[in-house]
Amino acid sequence: MKGRGGKLILFLGWCVISLFTLFPIYWMFLISTKTRVELFSMPSFLPGKFHWDNYINVLTDSAFQGYMLNSVIVATSNALLVTVLALLATYALSRFKLAGKDNIFFWLITNRMAPAAVFLLPLFLLFTKVFVLGGISLFDTRTGLILLYCVFNLPFAIWLLQGIMDGIPVELDEAAMIDGASTFQVLTKIILPLAKPGLAVTAILTWVFAWNEYLFAATLTSVEARTITTGLAEFVTVTGTNWGELAAVAMLTLLPAVLFLGLVQRNIVAGLTFGAVKE
Amino acid sequence: MQRRSIAWLAGLGSLLLAGTASAAGFWTDAAKPYAGTTIRGVSESTPPSNFVKDVLAPQFEEQTGIKVEFETTSWDQMYDKAIKDMEANTGIYDFVYIEQDIIYSYLSRDFLVDITKSLKDTPALASADFSPDKFTSFIDYFKDANGDLYGVPMEAFVKIYLYRKDLFGDPKAQEAFKAKYGYDLAPAKTHKEYQEIAEFFTQWGKDNGQELWGTTLQAHSGHPSSWYEFFESWGPTFGVYNWGINPDGWSATVAHGGSMNSDTAKAALTYWLGLLKYAPPEATASTWDEVAASFAAGRAAQGLVYGENAAWIAADDTKSGVVGKVGVALPPLAEGVQAAAESGKGYIGYYDGGAFGVPHSSKNKEAALLWLQFIGQESVQPDWAVAAPRITHTATYDDPKVQAMDAKIDGYYTLLRDSGKLFAGAPAYPFHAQVREATAPFFYQAITGELTPSDALDKMAEAAETELTNLGYRK
Amino acid sequence: MRSSTIGWLFLAPTLLILLVFGMLPFVYVLVIGFTDWNAFAAVATPHFNGVENYRRLVFDDQVLTALWLTLRFTIFAVVSELILGYFLAQLFMRDFPLKGLFRTLHTLPLMVAPIAVGATWRLLTVPGLGPLSYYLERWAGIEYRLNTYASQAFFTTVLMDLWHWTPLVTLTLLAGLSALPKDPFEQAQIDGANRFQIFWHITLPMLRPVILTTVFIRAMDALRTVDEVWMLTGGGPGAATRYIGLHIWRVVFPKTDYGYGAAMSLLTLYLTIVLCWLLYVALVARKRSGEDSR
Repeated sequence: MKGRGGKLILFLGWCVISLFTLFPIYWMFLISTKTRVELFSMPSFLPGKFHWDNYINVLTDSAFQGYMLNSVIVATSNALLVTVLALLATYALSRFKLAGKDNIFFWLITNRMAPAAVFLLPLFLLFTKVFVLGGISLFDTRTGLILLYCVFNLPFAIWLLQGIMDGIPVELDEAAMIDGASTFQVLTKIILPLAKPGLAVTAILTWVFAWNEYLFAATLTSVEARTITTGLAEFVTVTGTNWGELAAVAMLTLLPAVLFLGLVQRNIVAGLTFGAVKE
Repeated sequence: MQRRSIAWLAGLGSLLLAGTASAAGFWTDAAKPYAGTTIRGVSESTPPSNFVKDVLAPQFEEQTGIKVEFETTSWDQMYDKAIKDMEANTGIYDFVYIEQDIIYSYLSRDFLVDITKSLKDTPALASADFSPDKFTSFIDYFKDANGDLYGVPMEAFVKIYLYRKDLFGDPKAQEAFKAKYGYDLAPAKTHKEYQEIAEFFTQWGKDNGQELWGTTLQAHSGHPSSWYEFFESWGPTFGVYNWGINPDGWSATVAHGGSMNSDTAKAALTYWLGLLKYAPPEATASTWDEVAASFAAGRAAQGLVYGENAAWIAADDTKSGVVGKVGVALPPLAEGVQAAAESGKGYIGYYDGGAFGVPHSSKNKEAALLWLQFIGQESVQPDWAVAAPRITHTATYDDPKVQAMDAKIDGYYTLLRDSGKLFAGAPAYPFHAQVREATAPFFYQAITGELTPSDALDKMAEAAETELTNLGYRK
Repeated sequence: MRSSTIGWLFLAPTLLILLVFGMLPFVYVLVIGFTDWNAFAAVATPHFNGVENYRRLVFDDQVLTALWLTLRFTIFAVVSELILGYFLAQLFMRDFPLKGLFRTLHTLPLMVAPIAVGATWRLLTVPGLGPLSYYLERWAGIEYRLNTYASQAFFTTVLMDLWHWTPLVTLTLLAGLSALPKDPFEQAQIDGANRFQIFWHITLPMLRPVILTTVFIRAMDALRTVDEVWMLTGGGPGAATRYIGLHIWRVVFPKTDYGYGAAMSLLTLYLTIVLCWLLYVALVARKRSGEDSR
């Protein structure tokens, strides 16, 4: 596979692979440009006349603008919060002698394993009845979702960052300490720059998980804090699933995600090592 | 924004038409103590709900200063949310959508406010324009044994037999049909006719290279809609009523006095599954909405379709490819079922619909009661019926706008008025969803052929009894 | 080592959030699991019934089937993602035009919301209307009826998961491969080892931690798959794709069987933890031995 011929074959190979990868997304796009009548005719791989009404309907709907804004705020805040907390937590786990470290780490991870459905009921009760401050409950608030999403995002982020943190030589912070740096300074001046790719990947992946979450958002929000994925479910009704608009929303939700992806593309490989190959 | 301003205009329009000065005065006066509050409801995003949300809610706010907020969501989600709210007594919703089949569950848990009693106790809240007597008989499903009302109907439909007039009227098809089966091609009256018509048009589609099949079938192999199609629509046409559950001792098996696995039920299920070969391939992936969409796309010659879809299939050319070609009739029946239905001992299909009710957990019951009466006024009904094909008031049938609509949809409203009494809502079971969920997996296996119809019904009857025992109804 | 107080301080917010939003609901579910509570039972309030729920679970065919199906789904999905992901990562290790673009394209599926993935695949595979079923039947004569044939539905869910999550596996393995030192490979080539020998004796052992981590993360998520499958098949045909997460959802929500659902959920969580613990022990043991030998 050396030389120009090899490169060409690889290039062509990737073209074919990308076709498979892109086809479902392309199909979603096609659906989003079709009217309801067209949808039930023979499937065609080529776009017909573009019917942009699905997009226009969604984009001009003030409710959907609200959902989109909620999603952006919830996902972004959650990703930032999770990344910061995970940075602190993994730094602690990696640099300090803490009793039962391995067990704590494993317990953190188990938070991602629970089947979500059954936890919705207690969460609903907690959100509506227990976490109430001055008459305002966490139910149907963005804050509620931002905090809750930590339950599945923190374990993932910690797992991801732990390896990176372990991969940064302890000698570096020790040297800084000798020079009189405080723990906080070590963290910001030494660790942060070195862990940057890892932090970027953590942020983007937790952002994606938060952006795409459905079940919790569907149960724990009502009108004010609804996110775009729960908006998708509105199109599934007894009088006809509005596949065109549903696909249009799905395409629109993909856009910001792709944008973020583009921003961190460079870091993604460097950050995903899980630090496990340091030997 | 555009949608909102149209809604506002429409609201203003019907206000000018409908509101008398004194009526408008009543709403303002009665609502004075509650002006400025916001009430919230949960509903499915359907045309009737959307009319309420986009037209009636702004009108109501205009007159009362009470803001109405809607959370629209999918069918499955709607129940989860409403039930959780009422179960936990949190008071998120001030009014909830109650589909006819879930009312008994809600009543058994005393989730809902007694509207009749509340209005009697606080006469200041009672509008003269709201009277349960003006509703069709469908309102009776939302009353308790004493006749007290717990929900104000906002939609009502029957599941109806739709057929393609153009195909049934095609001389070539008529000739070929008569030659093969020896009688005239016409909307089926019996199950045998229905099956033969289905067979005929499936073959007709094949011969003519058309994407056409004999019948739609709501036969999703993993969604309760298929279960409903059998127990609420096809079962009754064979004389299998109330899911085959005997309320006397809550039994389902024949051995214990139920009829879920009776020979009639088994024959009915065998017949229904037999129709699968005449249904388009998407039938086993079809819930109620795909059935309507398949029919609207012209892929089936006949089918049982929920009435809320009849209007757009027959008249809305932005969604339907068979506008002007749709005929409406009563479903085919086994012998004796018609007579049983007329005498009140049975029914021929599903009378479906929903109401809005006020949960006890609501923190704004008075404002919500005003709102329910507002949408229950006779004067708002005709526009609503035109926007979404639902009729809840007897007088609505006579409105010129509604009659014009009726002509476009082949007399569906006339049929609803004349024969609506032959249909019935879901049986009065508080354990509706529980028994459905317990038995549905076996039903799905019958659709895929893993279980024979007979074995499936045997297992379902047993599962139903086990569930009823677990729930504590059956001793 | 430094003062552990600061360490605990850094860990505190994480522990606090997970205790409040993770443990508190867990304790509630634990308690509910010992009660008989259905919102629409004859007596609709929870009452203590000991381990009755768990006794019922052991004999509940539907639950056992769902667990078995979930395990099978996870194994099929994760193993095929691993093989495909490794292959693709190796391809990315080479040089070719527009590599960055292809890598971005290959990452796209990761960005699609699970519920939208389910909707998309449903539209691709609806019998008679989706392009996959339509053209497979027309061109290849294969009757592809997702909602009729159990094995087709099962493999479609695997394929859907493969499409959605292989990119993550590719990326982690790619990261692992890029971080491998060059020397052992050069040495092996000089010694005349063939490709398979290099893969088996050098690449695989060195990648083992990355592979285990990837398997761990993927398995954890695959075991609790709900959204996609719910959209695609609803758990059908029959119970062919009624994975445990979906089954629990149906029991807890439409059926409002809170007590039994809680027990079911705890059993599932327990089994997941045991499974993951085994993987984790393998992983930590490896790390330890790595540290010891240093």
